[in-house]
Amino acid sequence: MVHLLQRHFSHCFTRPASIILLLLSLILPQLSSASVPQKHEGFPQGVSTINPGSELWREVRQRDLAVTGISQVKGVETGVLINSWGDQWARFRIENPVKYAPMVLGAVFLVLVLFYVMRGKVGIEGGLSGRMVKRFTDYERIVHWTLAIVFLFLAITGLILLLGRPLLIPLFGKEFFSLLASASKEGHNLFGPIFLVSLLMMLFSFVRRNIYEKGDLTWLLKGGGFIGDGHVSGGFFNMGEKTWYWIVILIGLAISISGLILVSPNFGQGRVVMEISHVVHVFGAIILTAVSIGHMFMGSIGTEGSLEGMKSGYVDINWVEAHHDRWAKECHENEQVISAEEYARLQGNKPDTAMEKGA
Amino acid sequence: MIEYLIDGPLWYFSLAVFCIGVLWQLASIVFARSKTDLSVARGSATGGAWRNVFSRFVPHHEIAPQIRVQVVAGYMFHLGLFALLFFAAPHILFLEENLLGFGWTPMPHWAFIVASQFAFLGLIILWLRRMLNSVSRLISTLDDHIAAILTFIVMLTGCLALLKGFTELRLLHRFTVELLLIYFPFSCLMHTFTFIPSRAFSGAWFGRRGIDA
Repeated sequence: MVHLLQRHFSHCFTRPASIILLLLSLILPQLSSASVPQKHEGFPQGVSTINPGSELWREVRQRDLAVTGISQVKGVETGVLINSWGDQWARFRIENPVKYAPMVLGAVFLVLVLFYVMRGKVGIEGGLSGRMVKRFTDYERIVHWTLAIVFLFLAITGLILLLGRPLLIPLFGKEFFSLLASASKEGHNLFGPIFLVSLLMMLFSFVRRNIYEKGDLTWLLKGGGFIGDGHVSGGFFNMGEKTWYWIVILIGLAISISGLILVSPNFGQGRVVMEISHVVHVFGAIILTAVSIGHMFMGSIGTEGSLEGMKSGYVDINWVEAHHDRWAKECHENEQVISAEEYARLQGNKPDTAMEKGA
Repeated sequence: MIEYLIDGPLWYFSLAVFCIGVLWQLASIVFARSKTDLSVARGSATGGAWRNVFSRFVPHHEIAPQIRVQVVAGYMFHLGLFALLFFAAPHILFLEENLLGFGWTPMPHWAFIVASQFAFLGLIILWLRRMLNSVSRLISTLDDHIAAILTFIVMLTGCLALLKGFTELRLLHRFTVELLLIYFPFSCLMHTFTFIPSRAFSGAWFGRRGIDA
């Protein structure tokens, strides 16, 4: 009986309530749309749906289980459904090297300009004498310039690939940049192994004279002569030159090996190896390019008489005494110093021409 | 317009200059008057010619240590360039479609890359030696430098166009090839055709006189 009464009561109560609810459901949306201003008037209102897969993929990415599954496809990392680390690496790759490369290279360039403006060319006390000493053989200079030419080509094409998007597209447009980037990529990949061969030639040709020895630390403590007024002692290669040599060899090898890993993706290396190789390659190249700008400056317009060593193979004895006094002593003891006339004869020049060049 | 010029008239013009120029130069050598050798032969001229053609592929042991770099670099460059020119897939396809009407099996892509790397490294070393060795620098002429640089540019534009995605890069390569073809007959590049006859001529002269050189 009670049950029947309850049922009757609820039926009487719910019918009007359901009618009211129905009316409200029709009217309220109209009221709300009239009271709230439309942000995108004129745009068709699409149906808002949540991608049914997004939750699934989020779960896959953020799960705590092992990230490698089982797949019918046999290959490197074919069991990995989603490589979450790849996102972080991609962001790092896009943001960091592009940001830091111009800063580092620009800073080095600025420092050198300031140095040149404030101090000028590093001269030799008493000037050049015209009397010369053999410093490098033909083969050693060929090795040096081969490495230099190949490195410059790789640096230019590498910088086009790295900085072309933000720097060159605004200047030349997308079409020209895509052409330039394609050419640079092909050239860069082709010349990379040539750099490695040149680097090994450099390693074997110069390694014996670039091993650190007693007295090198003094050179470092005096900042290569820039700190204090005292003379800095040096052998055939001074501490700065030796350090530059090892930077070229070690960073060059790191760049070469990482470059070979990148250019040959079919030797079983996984994504992480490729990503790390990319980072090593880019940052190694930025460091080497920055230091090489300093080397080019010091070897040419920065220091009087330096370039001659890599041009003719001979250097002025006064230059040797100023920068490599221990080696100068050996040259005098072994009577290796030749006259200006003899040097001119060896170079196939008239003596006065050689003196002018030397001066 | 430029595409039409490079693929059309300029290509035929450069090819004509190359063919006629090379034939003219070779004919001028073949028909050049030389004195009749009246001396009594002490050996075989033919044998001397053959011997000299092949023996010159290896440097004489007395000078080998001094020229080791240029011998190695010379072989790297010439063999690499030969492989690139006649066994690279794009070149074979070009020759088949435009000149010969038939092709042959190209070398694999990796070999093509290695050959081009050999050729580039060899050419760079050879040109640097020309510039850095005082004797080589003195005996080098402007022609030697132009020939080396032009050959380098042709190889470089070819390697930059490897992707085959841009007509402009292909046209740039073809344009530099056409410049090389026009320059070829009037330059030291003619040694491509004259080095064998030259060796044979010297060898015959040596052989007839019984000189073991």
